[in-house]
Amino acid sequence: MRFKSQKIAFWFFAVCMLLLILQVTYGFIMGFARIGMDGLHDFIPFNAARATHTNLLVVWLLTGFMGAAYYIIPEEADRELHMPQLAWVQLISWVVVGVIAIVGFHFNWWEGRKFLEIPRPLDYLVVVNVLLFLYLIGMTIWNAKKHSTTQLVLFFGLFCAALLYLPGMIYFDNQTLDSYFRWWVVHLWVEGVWELIMGAILAFLLIKLTGVDREVVEKWLYVIVGLTFLSGILGTGHHYYWIGTPKYWLMVGGIFSALEPLAFLGMALWAINMYRKKGKDHPNKLALYWTLGCAIMSFVGAGFLGFAHTWPQVNKWTHGTLITAMHGHMAFWGAYGMLVFAVIAYALPQLTGRKLFNNLSGYLAFWSANIGMVGMTGALAVAGITQVYLERKLGLDFLAAQKETEVHFIGMMLAALLFTFGVILFIYDFIRHGKPNDEAIVAATSAE
Amino acid sequence: MLSKSQARAFFLGGTFLFSAAFLILTVDTLRQNPTRTKEQNMSAAARAGKLIWEKNNCMGCHTLLGEGAYYAPDLTKIVQQKGAEYLKVFLTDPQAMYPGQRRMVKYNFTDQEKEQVIAFLEWVGNIDTNNWPPKPNIEPPATGNTVALALPAEKPEKYTQLCMACHKLGGTGGVVGPALDGVGKKYDAEYLDRWLKDPPSVKAGTTMPKLPLTDNERQELVRFLASLK
Repeated sequence: MRFKSQKIAFWFFAVCMLLLILQVTYGFIMGFARIGMDGLHDFIPFNAARATHTNLLVVWLLTGFMGAAYYIIPEEADRELHMPQLAWVQLISWVVVGVIAIVGFHFNWWEGRKFLEIPRPLDYLVVVNVLLFLYLIGMTIWNAKKHSTTQLVLFFGLFCAALLYLPGMIYFDNQTLDSYFRWWVVHLWVEGVWELIMGAILAFLLIKLTGVDREVVEKWLYVIVGLTFLSGILGTGHHYYWIGTPKYWLMVGGIFSALEPLAFLGMALWAINMYRKKGKDHPNKLALYWTLGCAIMSFVGAGFLGFAHTWPQVNKWTHGTLITAMHGHMAFWGAYGMLVFAVIAYALPQLTGRKLFNNLSGYLAFWSANIGMVGMTGALAVAGITQVYLERKLGLDFLAAQKETEVHFIGMMLAALLFTFGVILFIYDFIRHGKPNDEAIVAATSAE
Repeated sequence: MLSKSQARAFFLGGTFLFSAAFLILTVDTLRQNPTRTKEQNMSAAARAGKLIWEKNNCMGCHTLLGEGAYYAPDLTKIVQQKGAEYLKVFLTDPQAMYPGQRRMVKYNFTDQEKEQVIAFLEWVGNIDTNNWPPKPNIEPPATGNTVALALPAEKPEKYTQLCMACHKLGGTGGVVGPALDGVGKKYDAEYLDRWLKDPPSVKAGTTMPKLPLTDNERQELVRFLASLK
């Protein structure tokens, strides 16, 4: 850490961990409901648990991105954050809006549109909050002595993410159009601009951790985000096969979404190659594990597993089944969950001055969380294939087919236990680092 | 070798090009939308139904056009499959219609609200979805009960409204309960009457619900079922 104001990032990361634990808890509620143990149904019906689970995911990832931005931008811009007190206001109001939304879900207060369940009045507060965030980050960059590609791509990604939230706030009484523009938010986020944020954060971490020349890292960053938009924008079409939109989307969506893994493959090859070219051995091996792990798992989860059911002839059968949940879990974890973990693993020792990396609990956290997630994805894959064959191919009744998937949800929850164990170990290490302090500030030359 | 400025040009150029293509396709999608979704058939009730659908986050369990939460059935073609009358009975008390199974919240909709939700789902069911959902394409193994039986011409109204949602007869109907072909051979009228009156009292733990039938409707159904020999 080089600047006092970077300390705010710590609190964003702390909120992140808290929300993640809550998200996992709600995941278990849904898992139990699926094996017939729905004792909480009267208080937390499945739709409330589901909305909470997915919204917490989005919120903790965004909180992580914000924390990452507050850490990275001052360092890249080589100056203190613009008005750091306001960053506190932003954090607190962000948490307040989030808590109101989550509590509201339990009282049937929501918008009822997948991933965008936050009720409309709160949407406006989110917009104000994010504008404040962008203002603080933007002014820091604006007044910067240097403008690195990394910070510009990060800002552009965050800015586009904010902009793309708006189409989700337009009301359509036509379900097809409602869905069409809902995907502008959801798809263009996770398979578009979030990848810019991801690329920029990975670039920052690779520069710090491998010591490879900034010019080389950033050149390939452009290529990767270029590939992302080349495939990802028209790749939105894979959500437009069966919702009432014209037939040409079958071809456009099929071709371009089939190219989407290229961006993730590029990301993985880029990270691995930068590591192989490394000019130094950074002592924080754990941060390197999470960074390279993120690049690889995102290719498996988001790239490969997405590709597995993106082709219309396959998607015709798998659309609207647990196959989507299978892909979703590893994609979000690999691309974005692990990314936030990587930033935290790198930034925590810097923020607190306590070099607790390379201890057993850190590695155990990495391996159990990842093996747990692979297990969960595997269980969901089998459940999904079972559902597709029984319900879609054979025409069995929905509930009868679901009954046959129950055993796989027991397997999923066992794997989820391992995953949770990893997450808890990570949080244990997080807490052991203690709070950020000014003594951790070091001069530019020795900061890396 | 690729330089940084070439890489930047690739990113900016690609982004511009593909965003433009996406916007053009969006304009065309909007142009075709009223025809493909048969927007002229969207009644005021259907519009109100969509608000009820969203207000209660139905997508948090169900899927519609395949989008949602995979915990409860896809409802894209539900009105076309089960019929409005069945859905009205179902919505009155969902758990009663699927005893002992995965539960749905009882929403206490008024009759008007039920009609609005159903109108919305009916409109959705007529959207041109490029033939999604696909028809099952693997034949289940033969059960040995495939002898063609003569069907009585007249089915009681309640049979088509309620029974058919779950049972097959002569190859048409739902797949939740057993097929009713030849049910009159297996059970006599007295048993069928007791059964329809209160299924769980005849067979504990059955998934067959106690249906809201008047005495006349029940007797009509019993006569019909007993004649299926």
